[in-house]
Amino acid sequence: MLDKNILEILIQKLGKEAVVSEPEDLLVLGYDSTPGLHHTPDVVIYPTSSEQVQLAMQIARDHKLPITPRGSGTGLSGGSIPINGGMVICLNKMNKIIEIDEENLTATCQAGVVTLDLFNAVADKGLFYPPDPGSQKISTLAGNVMEDAGGLRGLKYGVTRDYVMALKCVLPDGTLLSTGGKSVKDVAGYAFKDLLIGSEGTLAIVTEITVKLIPPPQDKRTFLAYFDDIRIAGAAVSKIIAAKIIPSTMEIMDKATINCVEDYVKIGLPRQMAALLLIEVDGHPAMVAEEAEGVERILKEVGAAEVHVAKDAEEAASLAAARRTALSALARVSPTTLLEDATVPRSMLAETFALIEKLTEKYKLTVGTFGHAGDGNLHPTVLCDERDADEMKRAHAFYDELYEQVLAWGGTVSGEHGIGIAKKEYLARQIGPGGVAVMKRIKQSFDPDGILNPGKIFVADGE
Amino acid sequence: MSKKKNDKEKLGNFTAEDAPTYESVLQCMRCGFCLPTCPTFALTGRERSSPRGRVALARAVAEGRLDFTEAVKEEAFFCLDCRACTTSCPSGVRAGEVMEVCRSQAQQQTPQGHISKSIRGFILQRMLPNPDLLEKSMLPARLYQRLGIQWLVRHSKALKLGPSWMEKAEGMMPKLDAPLRAQLPELTPARGEKRGKVGFFLGCIMTLMYPEVSRQTVRVLAHQGFDVITPKETKCCGAPHLNEGDRQTARELALFNLDLFLSQDVDYIVTDCAGCGASLKEYEELLAEEQGHQRLELFRNKVRDVQEFLFDVGLRTEELLPVNTSVTYHEPCHLCHAQKVSNQPRELLKAIPGIEFRELKEASWCCGSAATWGLKFSDESQQVLDRKLKNVAATDAEHLVTANPGCHLQLAWGLKQAGMKQDVLHLMELLGRATPDI
Repeated sequence: MLDKNILEILIQKLGKEAVVSEPEDLLVLGYDSTPGLHHTPDVVIYPTSSEQVQLAMQIARDHKLPITPRGSGTGLSGGSIPINGGMVICLNKMNKIIEIDEENLTATCQAGVVTLDLFNAVADKGLFYPPDPGSQKISTLAGNVMEDAGGLRGLKYGVTRDYVMALKCVLPDGTLLSTGGKSVKDVAGYAFKDLLIGSEGTLAIVTEITVKLIPPPQDKRTFLAYFDDIRIAGAAVSKIIAAKIIPSTMEIMDKATINCVEDYVKIGLPRQMAALLLIEVDGHPAMVAEEAEGVERILKEVGAAEVHVAKDAEEAASLAAARRTALSALARVSPTTLLEDATVPRSMLAETFALIEKLTEKYKLTVGTFGHAGDGNLHPTVLCDERDADEMKRAHAFYDELYEQVLAWGGTVSGEHGIGIAKKEYLARQIGPGGVAVMKRIKQSFDPDGILNPGKIFVADGE
Repeated sequence: MSKKKNDKEKLGNFTAEDAPTYESVLQCMRCGFCLPTCPTFALTGRERSSPRGRVALARAVAEGRLDFTEAVKEEAFFCLDCRACTTSCPSGVRAGEVMEVCRSQAQQQTPQGHISKSIRGFILQRMLPNPDLLEKSMLPARLYQRLGIQWLVRHSKALKLGPSWMEKAEGMMPKLDAPLRAQLPELTPARGEKRGKVGFFLGCIMTLMYPEVSRQTVRVLAHQGFDVITPKETKCCGAPHLNEGDRQTARELALFNLDLFLSQDVDYIVTDCAGCGASLKEYEELLAEEQGHQRLELFRNKVRDVQEFLFDVGLRTEELLPVNTSVTYHEPCHLCHAQKVSNQPRELLKAIPGIEFRELKEASWCCGSAATWGLKFSDESQQVLDRKLKNVAATDAEHLVTANPGCHLQLAWGLKQAGMKQDVLHLMELLGRATPDI
């Protein structure tokens, strides 16, 4: 329970509108999309300006309240869950696009702008903001920055990090920090901006973001390839890359995912196939024609069962939209969907699929796998029931063993979802005690009192 | 959706009767795909007013972490029940229906004052289930036009209406003609080559407020080659009861209508009211404990919205007269989200000779009517409506077509208030204009 005095101070300084403390509100602001995690905050602030974030932060610091930043709550590693209660700062009402600068090809917006809204706004001006996480309709830009969100176009266009030019943020001591700018080059001192991207809300709260925009591709072609064996799909991905073709999108869905997605979208996906690849090449029309030919040739060579070309942009968009529903659609068949974010060098894809199959059998689980095959970034998802303790135990053993091998192959425990609460131990395994120690020192220099988003990324002493 | 009677176990802090099932709330994996589709979340930006938040509240009640509090009740009724979240949910969660069941919990768990209870009972249990009484009470309205308002005035407390509802209700009331029920013959014979026999489910609002629309529906169906049977005994479909949380009366009405229509020798049961259609299609779930599965399935398989029906059987266009005008189409929530009938009305419009169809931006976004919601939350309703009107204005079409009386009332009122040029037509009225008399 929050001290009545603190509540009064917050209301006095921030206004009644910005402060929420009804139990029913608090109850629904303590989760994100990560299964099984839920902690209730003591108070929630809805700021509408950087200054309000500063004020809230100061009051929290004065009263030793932990602070957890939150956008739309679509995270997949528990980053916005207030693990120790305290104050949640919910940024989704800071949703103004401040400027689209057509001379410098940049856009500046408040933290809570929804990713797709920015995409649409710049598209109206003939520009392109490529990062498109699966949750782009809902996710906020600051959330994307803090988790360094990827998406379907990551293969060719990169991830959120590759587009952030400047950040304004509030540090745990209440000061405003501005880092980066519209200059294309900037080597003035430490690259704070790059340190903040992917920091999962543990170093500062972002209030304003300037991103780089690019001209959109003039042409694109979308393929849907079906496979009798998921390992062949993995081989196809490796071969396309090896042929020096970089499609904008190369997404995979296995049989379980295909069926769940088809149950929802009903667009005639092949229910009996072991896997499908959604491949898109884009760019100058001449280049698209050449790359499309190459992709088609390789798909036939490796032995794809069928190759289809989307007949128009509308069909291509519906396929991408279908792919975006994969995770949520998998939730149709079981109450709990445990999702992972293993990423391997792309040459190891076929082996990774074989390993997932082997472990699925070993631990007697139902697993749906989908992901950004072109990035080597897979989301093997265990379909389970959190009420079944034994099944949950087997699911965790499955991931343990999977990650051991992923790390041995030089992969990573998180391609794009972040470490958050769920993967702290895996991070320690990946970067070792020395790496964790440096990260902790960085955290300490930004947040000596440890009030900002505690309990994330690192295993605490004694945990 | 509701809990089985023979297993009366209480789920957390819900009562045993008419509670959401645990599975229905556990299904939500909190991805948030529903958030951008929810009109109330767009209004408040408050998670508890979003489908994901509401399901989380219901889950907390089910798990005993939260009492069925006033705030939970508020959210159950603040939900428009527009079902846009159901359409957007890849996991198959039906947040709108969870909230509808929670409305029943609200009636069970939060005691009302004696007077408000008896008036509410009078409306839901005496008036609506009885077509004769209902029509007689509305009869003088044709003489005074305002009596409908007086009726609302008398019952405003029971319906918990919002601050400026009276002015709105008065403005919304269309010019009333005599109720259609008494005028429609039991059998309207097919014209031209006969294609089958349909039972017409004439809804209460249609007969009382839009008799001309349903007259056209029957005329169009007959011209399309169908014998139309209109049983005079038809009772309210039960939608208002579900809406207010009175599931018991809804079940009684559903049973009556089920028996009535299954006893008719008809191939299909057709309605021109999206609200009724959605309700009839849900009898299968509503009556799951009362009726054999076979009868429910038989009934379910016969029910069609008239737009859906005409698209499925194929519109005969040879004799249609051209209607030279431009139209846009607002999708009623209970047609596109609750019944998944979305493309069919557009195709029908395009098939009418002379019609220029213009797509409406956010066509499937609620208009803010939502049964009594538009009167209970009149300010919020206005904001939802304004968003719709802005999109209508952008089409510059001559007419706004829709297919549900609730939307019809709200949109016609909104267009008039805003001084816009469009009028509102039910799709069947437009098709009626294209249908020759001979």
